[in-house]
Amino acid sequence: MTIFDGLATPIVMGILLGGLYAVVALGLSLVFGVVREINIAHGDLVILGSYFGYTAMTVFGIDPILSLLIGMPVLFGIGFAIQKYLLNRAFRISMDAVLIIAFGLSIILENIFLKVWSPMSRGLTTPYALKSLSLGSVRFPLVYLLDFLAAIVVMVLLREFLRRTYLGMAIRAAAQDRKAAHLMGINTDRVYAFTFAISMAIAAIGGVFLGLTFPFTPVSGMPFLIIALGVVVLGGLGSIAGTFVGGIVFGLAQTVGGHFFGLAAQMLVAYTMVLVVLALIPRGIFGR
Amino acid sequence: MKATIPRLRAGLIPSIAVIVVLALLPIIGVPRVWFLYTFLFFTYLAMANMWNLLAGYSGLVSLCPAAFVGLGGYTLAVVTWVGLPYYVGIIFGSIVAALFAMLISIPVFRLKGIYFAIGTLVVPEILRFVFLLWKPVGGAIHGRGAGYTVKGVAEISQSQIYWFALAIGIASIFLMRYILRSKLGRGLAAIRDSEGTAASCGVNVFKLKLYSFVIAAFVTGMAGTISYIYQGYIEPASAFSVRWLITIMLATVIGGEGTEEGPIIGTIIVVFMYFILARYAEISLIIQGVILVGIMLLAPQGIMGIIRKTRPYGFLLQWASRC
Repeated sequence: MTIFDGLATPIVMGILLGGLYAVVALGLSLVFGVVREINIAHGDLVILGSYFGYTAMTVFGIDPILSLLIGMPVLFGIGFAIQKYLLNRAFRISMDAVLIIAFGLSIILENIFLKVWSPMSRGLTTPYALKSLSLGSVRFPLVYLLDFLAAIVVMVLLREFLRRTYLGMAIRAAAQDRKAAHLMGINTDRVYAFTFAISMAIAAIGGVFLGLTFPFTPVSGMPFLIIALGVVVLGGLGSIAGTFVGGIVFGLAQTVGGHFFGLAAQMLVAYTMVLVVLALIPRGIFGR
Repeated sequence: MKATIPRLRAGLIPSIAVIVVLALLPIIGVPRVWFLYTFLFFTYLAMANMWNLLAGYSGLVSLCPAAFVGLGGYTLAVVTWVGLPYYVGIIFGSIVAALFAMLISIPVFRLKGIYFAIGTLVVPEILRFVFLLWKPVGGAIHGRGAGYTVKGVAEISQSQIYWFALAIGIASIFLMRYILRSKLGRGLAAIRDSEGTAASCGVNVFKLKLYSFVIAAFVTGMAGTISYIYQGYIEPASAFSVRWLITIMLATVIGGEGTEEGPIIGTIIVVFMYFILARYAEISLIIQGVILVGIMLLAPQGIMGIIRKTRPYGFLLQWASRC
């Protein structure tokens, strides 16, 4: 008998959960990598995605994952508008202004959720959300596997998009050197708006899978923002592969920490790890 | 002609007169609701001044004032539980907040700019989990979270609590004036304008930032203990809530970040808004968020930024400096 008994389940759960965290954090990472701004409202925008899925499910009876066909364009539009009309302007004032305006957005969103959807805890309880799979001695919920698969699909698509399309190349150019991109005839403001919009479309996906996995409330944005920041910081801001690894490390810290210190302490372990990693390697595991 | 920086130099006599009038308010016997207004004004003012010292003058956008407020409040509660008087709690609370600032400066001061903001954002969340799980004194945890009543506050009169708040509010104003005119303030101004240049001119950037961080933690912690003497009950969710940050940031940004008078004007507006919007609790925070975004976009220097550009301000300066 060793302390490693029964560790297989938390490890598998942690890796799969890491996929969800990576999707939630990916938008944040993309915006940071390209626009160089930390979107403090990201968590709340992810929760907006969850509520969108919730409304589609309860009011119209559409499956939450299918509802993404509408949800993604809607959040894409909202994201485009936020960057174009608010953050691009704030950018010219100062970096603090971007931070404070995003914080203001987060307050507004949180309280709109409270008003529209009430403070009750909600969840996207589809028939398949309750099923679980077993693999040898390890049992885990089906949605955790879906989270992980969604993460891989989203990451591969984003990577190919950034590599192959014109817009993707423009985004990468603006990320590398804003001024040079501008001189080459790229409308950087527009590119930034598209980047933010894409980040929001990914947030919509993250929101729906989050809602399938965990219950959420109007104030869940903050905890998930911190998780996303933790993931992004672990992996190094602005790198897709780094975000994925960061997500898995964070998921593992949470589930393995919960295994050793009790379920109540699992988030404490994960948050503390973020602070320690920040102190030791401020630029993250994959930092540039 | 020498270019002078326009700055309100309030004379000593008018300031003392205002303070005396404010201190006499409880004796004159003003309506009770005024106490709440002025109490909130002074505690928030102290916190806003300290946030302004960090964000406006030291280039440290700290998102963790709630950590200092909550730690101050918890220390106060624990001190009263072990049987010591509450004023020991005020002093211990501030010291604990300052020591904690030194402790977290080890990780967060390695971070620059926006990374610093992220690092500090995580801190209150960690503390909230710690206090949800850990009960420093008195029996086991019943239900979720370790809430405490602050013992012995029933004997403290309303006027006494008011005077505490007045003292910390006024002290924070004078502290800001003193700091900004001291060697520390000049060093901070140099750092704000250009960190690299300041460092190469022999300014110890790390040390000065650490000083202002610890001072801010001390005063914010003290204001926190005073507001928990008034509330009489503390629990983790509200003690480390992001609400503190919203209020403090709003007060500073509305008034004018990086101006000395900004937090004073901003806090007056925030407290008024608090009471006007109390009836519309549901949309109150939405409105506050919209104001925060609007001010930042349209007038990033806040109200003081607008006032400073106007003509009457010049006259006011001349008048005030003659007193």
